[in-house]
Amino acid sequence: MKRFMSQNGIILLTGVVIGIAALTLTFLGNPANMGFCIACFLRDISGALKLHSTATVQYFRPEIVGIIAGAAVTAFAAKEFKGKGGSSPVVRFILGAFVMIGALMFLGCPLRMVIRIGGGDFNAILGLIGFVAGILEGIIFLKKGFTLNRAYRQSKGEALGLPAVFVILFVFTLVFPAAFQVSAEGPGSMHPLWIVSLVAGLVVGGLCQRSRMCMVGGIRNSVMFKDFSLIMGFAAIIVTVVIGNLILGSFHPGFAGQPVAHSDGLWNFLGMALVGWMSILLGGCPLRQLILAGEGNTDSAVTVIGMIAGAAFCHNFGLASSADGPTFNGKVAVILGFAVAAAVSAAFTWRKEK
Amino acid sequence: MREKTLKLIITFHTTAAAMAMEKICALRGLPGRLGPVPRSVTSDCGIAWWADPEERFLFETGEDFPEFEGIYEVLSYNS
Repeated sequence: MKRFMSQNGIILLTGVVIGIAALTLTFLGNPANMGFCIACFLRDISGALKLHSTATVQYFRPEIVGIIAGAAVTAFAAKEFKGKGGSSPVVRFILGAFVMIGALMFLGCPLRMVIRIGGGDFNAILGLIGFVAGILEGIIFLKKGFTLNRAYRQSKGEALGLPAVFVILFVFTLVFPAAFQVSAEGPGSMHPLWIVSLVAGLVVGGLCQRSRMCMVGGIRNSVMFKDFSLIMGFAAIIVTVVIGNLILGSFHPGFAGQPVAHSDGLWNFLGMALVGWMSILLGGCPLRQLILAGEGNTDSAVTVIGMIAGAAFCHNFGLASSADGPTFNGKVAVILGFAVAAAVSAAFTWRKEK
Repeated sequence: MREKTLKLIITFHTTAAAMAMEKICALRGLPGRLGPVPRSVTSDCGIAWWADPEERFLFETGEDFPEFEGIYEVLSYNS
């Protein structure tokens, strides 16, 4: 038991805290089964910044600012804040955009996927199967030598760029709220008081930085090394959210009528398969990209910007699904995403050495 | 009860380098295995080469390995 807790205590604690935070945020205002969703929240931020004009999903989500800032604070405290980057940033931007296209086909990132499972949304189980399939596809290329090339040391100023921009923009939304878009109805209008969201983000960001929580890394380590410590966090979130939803009376098992979700199984599967494959190529899930960006990793910062741009594309070009199901444009974009994933995987696996 | 033991952890700049390390070590019959980078070593969730500390000289003196990012010795329950 001592050994188990020594190896897994911090990751289990992180999973339980994320689960409790998700339940609390939903109870206090966030949309159902969307206590935390990195994809949805970056999409809302994209809307708040007027990068897309879908009126129902525009709000500068304080949780994202909190996650990045929380990770930065704990990284500084642990002397782990390091400027690092230069590993194929343009490719990472593109992959980040397609992560968002896959996530908005499914309607959630890997974190929301497990929160949806915890709410009884069986559509998310198909998403999970797709996510694992995508990761396994990516692992094939990892084993054959895929790499986006090494990162190099960057200055502290460069490393602080993204965290600083998020914090400054967030302060602007408080001081000059009229300059930003805010949804009057729909998911973007549903949120707790900003300070609650911010504190939840700070706590989760700090814990994720310490525990190295990663949805993709958990499955990768389980498959490649039979190391199950990271995946424990995954399990802890599901168990906590199931118990919480049962207590709150909000556990509704089934496929139909799930909140902010659709029941097209094939496209739920394919959307998350794309997220899984792209995330393996990027070296982490969307949550992990936020944490790494907070630690000073400028490659992850570029990926986060790519995800925000991808969200704008999704809503400006009709790629995002809705409760009615996926769109034709969205299906074309996801298929294009698989072509991009295959091309990038091949190009960076069988590259010519200089 | 199983106790923590000291392990040699070699980290790399890329996962591809870690994979190349595995191939080279298999060809040369060198000890060790691939595993996740321990939390205590770096905050990256990358892939490292795990071996025993007494084998350190094999890796420090060997040639044509992929470039190491660092060599660490950490206490771990993992064998």
